[in-house]
Order: sequence, then C-alpha cells, then structure tokens
Amino acid sequence: MAPKFNAGKENLLADEAEVLQAVILADSFNKRFRPLTTRKPRCLLPICNAPLLDWTFESLALAGVQEIFVICRSHPEQIKAKIAESRWSKTGSGIKIVPILTAKETFSPGDAMRDIYTRGLVTGDFVLVMGDLVSNIRIDEVVKVHKERRKTNKDAIMTMVVKESGANHRTRSRADSAVFGLDSETFECLHYEPVMGYPPSTVASIPREILSAHPDIEIRNDFIDCAIDICSVEVPSLFQDNFDYLDIRRDFVHGVLTSDLLMKNIYCYVAKEGYAARVQDTKSYESISKDILSRWTFPLVPDNNHPAGHLYEHRRGNKYIDKDGTVILARTSTVGSKCLIGSSTKVSDNAQIISSVVGQNCIIGEGAIINNSYIFNGTTVGPGCVIERSIIGFDVNIKENTRIDKGSLVGDGVIIGPNAHLEAFGRLSKKRGIDTVDDEDEDEEDDYADSEEEEVEAAQGTITVNLGSGSNAMLWPQSAPDEDENDENVENAKNQRFMRLGDSASDLAFSDAGSESSDEESESSDDDSDFDKRLELPTSSSTSLDLPDGSSTDGIAESEFRNEVRLSLERAFTEGHSVDNAAVELKTLRMASNVSLSRVREAVVSAIVERIQIIDGGGIPQRQEIAHVISRWGPLINKIGGVDPVETIAALQTHCASSKRLLLFGQILAALYQDDVVEESDIRKWHQSLLSQGLGLSPGVRTDNIRKCWEIGSRMIQQFDERDSSEDDSEEDGGDAGNNTDGNEQDENEGEDEDDSEDVEDSSGED
Amino acid sequence: MDLGVATSGRLTREFSAVVIAGFGNEYCYVYSPSLALDLISDNRLVPLTRNNGSEPCPKALIPVANKPMIDYVLSWIEQAGVKGSCTSSRLILPSNTSSLLDVLLICPSIHRPMISHHVHSGLSTLHIDVQTYDESPESNTGTCTLLRHFASRISEDFILLPCDFIPPPSLSLSTILNKNRTESLSDGSVATVCWFAAPQPDKNSLVEDWGSIPPSVPIVWDDATETLLQVDTADDLDQNSEELELRMSLLSQYGYSLTYPRTKLSNRYQDSHVYVCRRSILDLLHEKKHFDSFREEFIPWLCKIQYQRTKREKYGHILNPITNVITQDVALKHSTLRAQKKVYSKSVLYQSNDADASSPFDPESTTDSSSLRVGLVLHPATAGFATRVNNIHSLLDINRRLLAETTYSLPTDSQSRSLIDPKAQISSDTMIGAFTQISERTTIKKSVIGKHCVIGKMARITGCVLLDHCVIEDGAKVDGCILGKNTKVGAKAELSRCVSQAGYEVGSGESFKNEKLDVSDWTAGGDDSEEDEEDDDDDGDEDEEESDDDDEGAAEDSD
Repeated sequence: MAPKFNAGKENLLADEAEVLQAVILADSFNKRFRPLTTRKPRCLLPICNAPLLDWTFESLALAGVQEIFVICRSHPEQIKAKIAESRWSKTGSGIKIVPILTAKETFSPGDAMRDIYTRGLVTGDFVLVMGDLVSNIRIDEVVKVHKERRKTNKDAIMTMVVKESGANHRTRSRADSAVFGLDSETFECLHYEPVMGYPPSTVASIPREILSAHPDIEIRNDFIDCAIDICSVEVPSLFQDNFDYLDIRRDFVHGVLTSDLLMKNIYCYVAKEGYAARVQDTKSYESISKDILSRWTFPLVPDNNHPAGHLYEHRRGNKYIDKDGTVILARTSTVGSKCLIGSSTKVSDNAQIISSVVGQNCIIGEGAIINNSYIFNGTTVGPGCVIERSIIGFDVNIKENTRIDKGSLVGDGVIIGPNAHLEAFGRLSKKRGIDTVDDEDEDEEDDYADSEEEEVEAAQGTITVNLGSGSNAMLWPQSAPDEDENDENVENAKNQRFMRLGDSASDLAFSDAGSESSDEESESSDDDSDFDKRLELPTSSSTSLDLPDGSSTDGIAESEFRNEVRLSLERAFTEGHSVDNAAVELKTLRMASNVSLSRVREAVVSAIVERIQIIDGGGIPQRQEIAHVISRWGPLINKIGGVDPVETIAALQTHCASSKRLLLFGQILAALYQDDVVEESDIRKWHQSLLSQGLGLSPGVRTDNIRKCWEIGSRMIQQFDERDSSEDDSEEDGGDAGNNTDGNEQDENEGEDEDDSEDVEDSSGED
Repeated sequence: MDLGVATSGRLTREFSAVVIAGFGNEYCYVYSPSLALDLISDNRLVPLTRNNGSEPCPKALIPVANKPMIDYVLSWIEQAGVKGSCTSSRLILPSNTSSLLDVLLICPSIHRPMISHHVHSGLSTLHIDVQTYDESPESNTGTCTLLRHFASRISEDFILLPCDFIPPPSLSLSTILNKNRTESLSDGSVATVCWFAAPQPDKNSLVEDWGSIPPSVPIVWDDATETLLQVDTADDLDQNSEELELRMSLLSQYGYSLTYPRTKLSNRYQDSHVYVCRRSILDLLHEKKHFDSFREEFIPWLCKIQYQRTKREKYGHILNPITNVITQDVALKHSTLRAQKKVYSKSVLYQSNDADASSPFDPESTTDSSSLRVGLVLHPATAGFATRVNNIHSLLDINRRLLAETTYSLPTDSQSRSLIDPKAQISSDTMIGAFTQISERTTIKKSVIGKHCVIGKMARITGCVLLDHCVIEDGAKVDGCILGKNTKVGAKAELSRCVSQAGYEVGSGESFKNEKLDVSDWTAGGDDSEEDEEDDDDDGDEDEEESDDDDEGAAEDSD
C-alpha cells in the first residue's frame, strides 16, 4: 500500500522533492488511564487487541507519510521495542520510523514541540499527530490542500483536521471539546474556544473584530478534534519563541489567533468522510472500541488491516473471532454481537460475553459475565465473575465470584478475589513489593510512576476494602477534589468525570441546566436586564456540589492573606521600613489576593495591636510602649488605600475582644486618637453603631469583651463631653486634658488636611 | 372544497397587515458624551421629512423613483394577497368583506390627511384603515407601544411592515408567509422575520455630512432550519464591546431535542422590519410592557425564548402556539424533508444512550414539543437588491438602482410630453414625472425628476433626485443632490451632493457642496474652513466623475 502512495506522492510533489514527515507525540502528558499506564505508556495500550501506536502508524501509512518521528517521554524502551517489531519499520515498508527520546522534563506537548525545534527534526511541512490516533482520513488530501494554500498565503502555518459530527456524538469528548469559528468560505479558523464539561461555560465569546474582516462566520460546536495538524516548519519555532505555550490547542492555536503580532493564519479542514478520533480518555477508549467493532473505521477493521497483524474472522453481528482456530468457545457459552476475541482464548461453559473485547490467551471461567468490558491479553476471569464496563489490564487474575462494577480499571498483573467486590469506578494496581524481577531494569525510569504508587500505598491505611484473600492489589483512592485545585484546568476532578468510562456525569450536567435556569429566572424576573443577570451569575450558578468548596477556598485565601499581611508587617517592623513603603507593600498584597479593603484594615489593625508588647504591671511603661508603636505605625492604617476611622475602631474592638490585649483597648484607642488616626467624631459614630455595642451577636466571651470595649469607649466619650462643657472655663483647669485638647484641635485640622491629600494620592495611585 | 366550507366560519382571514408609517425616526444607539450608550431616536431622512412651511412631509410619501415609497409596500402586500377573500389557502369568500380591513396603517395624526388621501386615491384594491397616534417628530413612540395600543384592532396573525422597505422583485411576501404557514403548523414557530443583505456602502460616494450609515447588526442563525437565534443588540454591545457572546445552551443543549451546533454568524444582513407574527405575540407584548422598539428590543428577546428554558416555561404558554406537532410527528416521522429532524450524513453517529446515561429529565415530558422558534428568511445579495429607505444614502442608492432597471421613462401622455423641449438632452436612464416642464438645451442624466417641476434652460442635472414641484432656473448645475419638494434653485447656482428641505430656496449664483440645506439654518451656509478643505477634495472627485458619466457610482475611481 505504502509504495503505491509513494508513487502518487512523487508525482504530486514533483517540483519539490520533499519527503512527507510526521511527528507522533507518543506521550499523553496526563494520567487519565492510571493505573493502566503506570508501567506502560498509553500509546502501547491495546485497543481491539492492537497497540494504539500501531493504529497511529497505520493511519499515517494510509496518508503516504515517509518519515515518522516518535517523540517518547515515559517508558521509551518499551516504545522503542515496539517500533522495532512493528511491521512498518521493516525494510521495504517505505516508512522510516525514528524514535526520539525527549527529556523527562517534557511535561506538555508544547515542550515536545520545542524539543522538535531544538533538534531540527523537521525540514518542511509535517503531519503532527498524537500517539493515540485512530483514523482512516486521507491525510494526504489535507496535506495537498495545505500546500496549495501555502503557495498563495505564506502565513497559513497550520491546518487542523476536524471531523464533522453532532454535538452529542459519543466519541466527542464533553470534557475537552471546543467551539470553532470558521470563515464560511475559506475555512480559516478565526476563533477557538475550548469547552469543558466542568466548569460548564455559559457563553461562547466571539471577538467582534473578526467580523470586520470576515462577514460570514460559521460557529461550529459539532467538531471532533482529531488532533491531526498539518504544520509548516514555522510551527515548532513559534513554540520556541513563545515558551509559555503548553497545549497545542488551548495555548498555541488560541495564541496565534488572538495575537496581533504574529499575523499567522490557521485553517481547518472539515473532514466529512472518514473517521478520526483520539483515545484520550477511558470514555473515548470505549466509544472508539465500539466504533472500530462497528466498522466505522473501515478499512482499518479487525478482519482487514488489523494493525497488530492478527487475523480475525468477521461473523454475523460484528463478531470477530481469531482465525487461527485456537479460540475455544464452549458450546453453552454466549458471545454477543460486537465482540472481539483474541487467539488462544478459552471461553468456558455458560460464560457470556456481551459487546466486549477479550485479548489473547485469556480464560473466561464458567458462568462469568463480561459486559461492555475490555480485557487485555493473558487475563483469567474466574467462574461466576461479573465484569461490567471496565478495562482489565494484562495478566490479571480475577478469581471466582468476583464482581467488578462499571468504570473500573484494573492494572496489569493484579490478582483479585475470590468473592471480592470492586465498587464502581474502582482502580486497582499491583502492590510494588510483589513485583517480579523483570521490572528491575526499568526501575530508574519509573521513578515517577513509583512515587505515585508510593502515594497510593501510603493511602492504603485508610482504605479498607475486601479484595479477596489472595489479592496483591491496592485500591487507588478516588481522586478527591484537591483544595487548591484550579478549576480552569482540563484535568480538574469534576471535568475528569466526563472522561471516565461508564460515568455519565449526569449530576454535573444537571447542575449545569439548573444553574442556567436560575440565572435566567433572575434575569426574566427583573425585566431582562442582562447586566443584573451577569452580576448574579456567580452566586446562582454555583452548584450544591461546589458551595462548600467555594467557601472553604475563600476562607483559605483570606487566612493566607492575613498571614501574608502579618509577615509583611513583621518584616516592616523589624527592618524599620517607612510607613509609605509598608503601605505600598500592603496595596500590592491586596491586589494580588483580591480582598476587600476592610479585610486589609482588620489585618493591619490586628497586626499593629499584636505588635504592642504587653508589659507586666502596666502603668506608664505600658503606655509608652503603646504610644511608641502607635506613633510609629498608626498612620499606616490610613494609608492602605482608603480612610475609614470608624471601621478602624471597630476592627480594633473586634480584635481586642478576642485577644490578650483586651485591657489595652482604651489606651490604644486613646493613642490612636492622639495620633489623629481617629477623631472624636469617629469615636462617637462608632460608639453609636449597633455593632459596637455587641448587639446582634450571639452571647459568649467574645461578645462580653466587645461589650467591655464599648464601655471603655463610653467612658472616653464622657470625658469628651466633660471636656467640651468645661472647655470655656478651663484656663486654670490646665492639666493634661486641657493641653491635650488644644493640641488636638490643631492637630485635627492638620490631620484632616493630610487625610485629604492622602485621599487624592490614593485615588490617583489606584487609577 | 368541503374542508373550506367547514372552516370558513372561523377562519375568515389569515393575516392582517400592519404598516407603520412614522416620522421616519429610527431608534438607534449612539455614544453620548458620557460614553454610555443611549437609545435615542434619530431621523436619518432629515431634512427631507421636515415640514414644508406648515405642511408636513410624511416619510411614507417621499417618492422613490417617482412613486411614494409606501406604494411599494402596499403593492407588495397586494401581490401576496393578504385579503380575506384571496389568501392562497382559502376558497370561500367571507360573507361580510366590507367589514374586514386588510391593512392597518398607523401614522402620526398630523400626517393622516395626506396619507389617508394618498392611500384612498384608488391606486390600491386593499382596504386600508388609517389609524393615528399622537406624536411629534421629537418624541418617539416605539412599534411595541403602537401594537399594544392597537392590539384590539388586530384579531388574527399579523404581518408587521415598515413603510420604507423596497422589496426586490425576487422576494415576494408570499415566500415569507408560506414559510410562516408551514412552520407555525409543523413545529410551532411563533414568528417569521426577513433579513436582507445590506447594501455595501461605497466608501467613496459617501457624503459624510449626510449622516452615517447605520452600523450593521451581527446575527446568528441556523442555516439548516432557517431559524434566527440571536440578534446582537446595543445592550450586548454595551456590555461586551469586544466579544459577541453566544449562549452555550444554544450551541449544545443536553436534554433538549433542538440544538444548533452549527450556526452561522454574519453582519452582512439588515432587518427588513417585515415580521409575520402569531396573534399571541400581542399578548406577549402586553406582558412585557417595557419594550418599546420591536426591532431593537423585542425580536432579540423573542429569539431567546427558543433556547432558554425558564423563558420558555414562563412565556411559552402565552405564545400558546396552535400547532399540530403531535399529530404531525406521527405522520412525518419518516419525512426527510422536515427541517427539524436533521438528517445527518452517513458518517455521523448518534450518542449511544447507555442505560445510565439517560438524561436527567425527559425532554418529552418537561417541555412542550413546539419549538417557539423564530423563522428566518434570508435574502442574499445575489438575489436582487433590497433596501430600507431609512437614510439619505439609501434613498439615493435605491433611486439610482431603480433607474438602472428602467429605460427612458418619460411621461407618455402627449400633454405632459409637450412640456419637454425637444432640444433638451435627456439620457435614457432618467425618469421624468408628469407635467414637468423642461426647457431647451438642458442636460439631464441619471436623474429622477418629480412631477410638476420646472427646469430652465441650460441647466445640468446629473445623478439627482428631484421631488415634486422643484424649480431649477436657467443655467443651474445640480449634481448628486436630493432636492425636497418645492425646492428652488436660482439661476446659475451650483449644488453638489446636497440634500434640501422642502421649500428651500437657493439663491441665484450661490453654490453649496456636501450639505444638508435646512430652512432653519438658512443663513449659516458653509462658512466652515474644514468643509472648504473637503470641498477641494471633492472637486477633484467630481471632475473625474464628470469625465466618465456612464458609470453610475460616483467617483469610485478616485483611489
């Protein structure tokens, strides 16, 4: 087949004697298949009994590719070995396959592209695919189109192949799809917007400016992104220039389309015929298996062109049984439609196999039921076992009467049972201690996997599940949503559920619809002012699921912020920064963590109060200490970006109420008053407010303390009142109070001026 | 026939037409000095619609190719047969035709005498009921308000038309009506709208002083089902001026039967303001009292009902589409022509409904099956020129285009003919109204001359639209102008690309360029230095234009 294509190719490219190169990114850069992929790269997982990599080679061979670079990161030895034994690497196949080892630090497709650039692998336009592609699309046609376009438009650097489908196509990932905006005539991709299952996006935002150049745009939400890209040679260098590009779609495509500087174009090739899909998660593993068995991928079907070279007999109802006659099907066993059974597999009496794939050398025990499951080579399923919608790895031994519920993944070499029950979405792998020697040579490179397995092992203590007496398995904990998890990431826990085999994630989908309705209710109730809707959206769209999450993360952020403020002030205190510098630092902190001004004020007040040392015996030394600290740092309170003395007092009150410095409240307040941080009118205002009196708070020690503070405040106000009344005739009254008042009044005026000027500064600073 | 008899008692008339003939005020959003969008009404045909002395100049009666523009709409209605007696599906004459009014024409009360006189002057076989509302040119009453007010007079499904839509011959109203008939019965659509490809303004021929071209409105529609899904409103623009936001529920709605995963977005099209609506729309208008503009506010909102669930639940029963979807569903189960059931190509697979993946709610039970959608008729640019005469540019444009289609339409009766001097040079792409007097050695090219005009000797008129009763004195040069009724151009005056208010008088020897000539700023003629500069530029253009006079566009070749 390949030579024929080569001949065609040469005619096609007579003017430019160029070999068509392809780059396979053989690493998945994610962990969706764990634990199946702890000891094996994803591209070597079999689908329909042939490794994914072989399917990918087959797809590329169909396209007449002559040189393939396989970029491998994890488990490169295995991939190399696989390539060596692949029929495409044999001489005469017309294809040259070169495995490229890339560094362990390659964590994303973007890193891999940079590696391609630094190695200078590609010389011209090349086909970039992932190592988990199953396709029968004529990529050579796309390459032709791409080259034609390049002749007229040198900026057309990439052509993405997308497959037309429906929005709810089973092979279309709901967790990781995209809305494409295409020019109706040229199919230039103008807009790319990734869509995740969770968090659900409510709107797709199409930039208006693209309308000016392209009046007719198609907005498509029905594409399966096959991750087949025809790239020109500039693409890797663009990755090199933009070192922050990680994902090819989310970062590179989005970046190129939105960049004003690059002026490059990306086009889409909308494949109407043919099949192409990526095995990117366990859900698509299932759907693609079914697609292959239903012959959508023809001519790549098990009975014809099977990538691993097996020969299957195609029986009625899309049943595929290995042709070499080594399959033993007991007379009373049932094999339903859409099944594939590898060679030397034995299916015992009364066993039922329904829409499943069974590998080579498997033994299915008596009365076992295998429903919609995928069993790799060498696995034994004991009598009476039930396996529902799961993937079972190589050489697994499932002992009798074990039940495995839907969505489970069982790693290689696991022994489970007898009479065990694996709950839905369980993940099992073999304990490391029991490893056999053959893994030893790989130990070094499996560091990463090992560390992960260690984690799992460490968590074993908390998990008590009966996996049967003879089991060597450990159960992986359900991926709990991490506290600090970034929901923006595709790999967030809830979004992962959309990728999980057998998980309809209908609760998440439902919460989506619910949120939608709630925001519309608010919208329609108030005369459709869309603006209000938008304001309400964040609150109303939160599902019951993430409410606790949200509040807890808020709490965390806030305590984090407090901590930061404390640290930064401590630094300021000890290193003797100026008040202005400290204020700038606080403003930066506030912007960074996006908290309200009052929080900052609270944090500052409490930090300053804590700064005051409690001096045993109180008295004058204590008063001096307070005066020292407040005169040094008090002004900071009004420089954090806004002046609200009433709130300052309230913050002081609440802080003192729950601190050891309760008794100092009066003195601190007086000191603040002395330093013009607060004014008399502020104290009065605070004193009148209900909150300061502790009203509306649940009774408790703290409320009592608040109440005490308030009483101290009342005494102070009494003093003010007395002073006011005696001010007229207080010439000889002299004393401290009189002097103080005079001084204060002057200071007050000055202070106000200062405050005003600060206000101006602040506002200008914020602008 | 029997079927017709059986239903004739109830359904005597299918549609009534409602024509809105306002002042020509258009809602439009402008950026006020505070940089916020304000909804203001703006009359873009000013000064043509300003009063001629004390006599009003209704927009509806401004002639387009010597025919008042409302006649185009009325004859369009007439052709579609919106009459109780001859709608295509009715065979039985209603017993009391006289009491049935075919067209409800709503106009401001001060325009009533003129409009009423015009529409009842025997040109049309339609029964036209002229209703009025009190409005001054300054205040503005929106179409929604008008419809609410006259709702009692509209007892059946209605067609809402503007007075200024000039439909192309290729687009007939029956096309739109037929689409509405089919869809409202087959899947419960509530309205059908018509958008046409907006004429692409020719940058060079634009005169900036005439006012700006209205900005194009991006719309989102589904091509397969011809459904209008979203109209970008100024509110949306205000909220997000960078991006156009599409609800994901529109693009992918899990659980609903209708999704539009492949929609089209374009800003090529313009709303024709022709809406075929179910009667229940009026009930909905009563619910949503704050809507004023039908085009700017109501239609965009109506589009949302079809895919936003709560709106659907809330307003669906008001719309109460009379549909026989359920019975039709059975009958049309295997139909491949029905739009709603999308026919996918072989290579498309449906999502397998595995047992536990059934959607959380059953679409059949929670939502009524009628789609409540807004049908869309798109009139592409290739299928003939359509326009709405709502600004001066389009008035000039449509006149020129209609001229290009007609040939040499001089008055036919001998009396009018005798008024035209045989020594006058009149090019074949010119239209001259009845009783217009043209003196010798006058040259007229590519122009529309109204009725009862008087044109002196040696005048040159190129690419102009002269409304009725204009007087052009000897030796005047008029180029690319629109002259309102009764405009007088003095001897040897030169006008270039001006618009004049009715009754304006240009003194002899005066010259104006690129101006709106208002009676009010009679004295404040172009004393602006900037304009002078522009004039200089335009001079160059004109020279070139004059040199090649068989090209209808003005001065495109200056670049």
